[in-house]
Amino acid sequence: MNVGEKLPEWSLPITPTLVVSTAIATRDFQDVHHDRDIAQAAGSKDIFVNILTSTALCERYVTDWAGPDVQIKGIAIRLGAPAYPYDTFTFTGEVTEVVDGEATIKVVGSVSLGDHVIGTVRVAS
Amino acid sequence: MSAPAQELVPADVHEHVLAEAERIKAWGEAAERFSRDEVNQPTINNWLEAMGLDNPRFSAGEAPPSMAQVWTMYGLGGKPSDQDPLHSMMRVLTDAGFTAVLGTNCDQSYDRYLQVGERLRVTTALDSVVGPKATGMGVGYFVTSRNTWYVEHEDGSSEQVATMLFRVLKFVPRKKDS
Repeated sequence: MNVGEKLPEWSLPITPTLVVSTAIATRDFQDVHHDRDIAQAAGSKDIFVNILTSTALCERYVTDWAGPDVQIKGIAIRLGAPAYPYDTFTFTGEVTEVVDGEATIKVVGSVSLGDHVIGTVRVAS
Repeated sequence: MSAPAQELVPADVHEHVLAEAERIKAWGEAAERFSRDEVNQPTINNWLEAMGLDNPRFSAGEAPPSMAQVWTMYGLGGKPSDQDPLHSMMRVLTDAGFTAVLGTNCDQSYDRYLQVGERLRVTTALDSVVGPKATGMGVGYFVTSRNTWYVEHEDGSSEQVATMLFRVLKFVPRKKDS
């Protein structure tokens, strides 16, 4: 891994099934992640992707690029625009630092409303 | 320079919030609890399918690192104890009128990947309360908690395996212009 190296762009359609299946698979039963009526009553446009999934998708994106043997040391994310069904994630990434056997990859997952997740994934280089 | 605190919230409210933050921070790592289940293959498989992640390591005894938090989620119907530092601080702010909540940052570090069969213990500490801040969402405080996950060993030792700093904004929603 070299500084400046870019990850291939990755698109993922956000279906209701994605939102619900990932929320339940992360054992997050908050109703706003699976019940549209409740999400809308609370002021949201729709159900939305939960935080554990935002982190997990950063893990997947970097793993798909770096390969199954990658050793992930940490994932730090900042959350922005909500990810609603019928939108699409577009992930981009770039290696920003390689120091002392550890590489830092900046990852941005955007939706139509703006950046949903801005993250840094640290891996053993 | 940002506006002084008293321009955003009444001084007595701000002092109360900071005093409660100090009281709760002093609890240190609290609200210890164990995961309902050991790290297990069916739960890993459900996660892999949902995320669309395919990695043979996760069928051979290891768990995906970002699942660390999954093992100690409360599940359906579970809820934090009254002694939980994060929820205690949230309650203080809710009672002070900062009723809305928004997750803003999640910073996880993995000491190692977990193994199928391991059972996790997690603690929660209140790390910081910063504010008041005027944000696009409204006026509020940033509350940061720190979770630490451990695996207990038969010799009685306790091994830290993952940590997480989690930040939320607790805020008074801005009135919508009609």
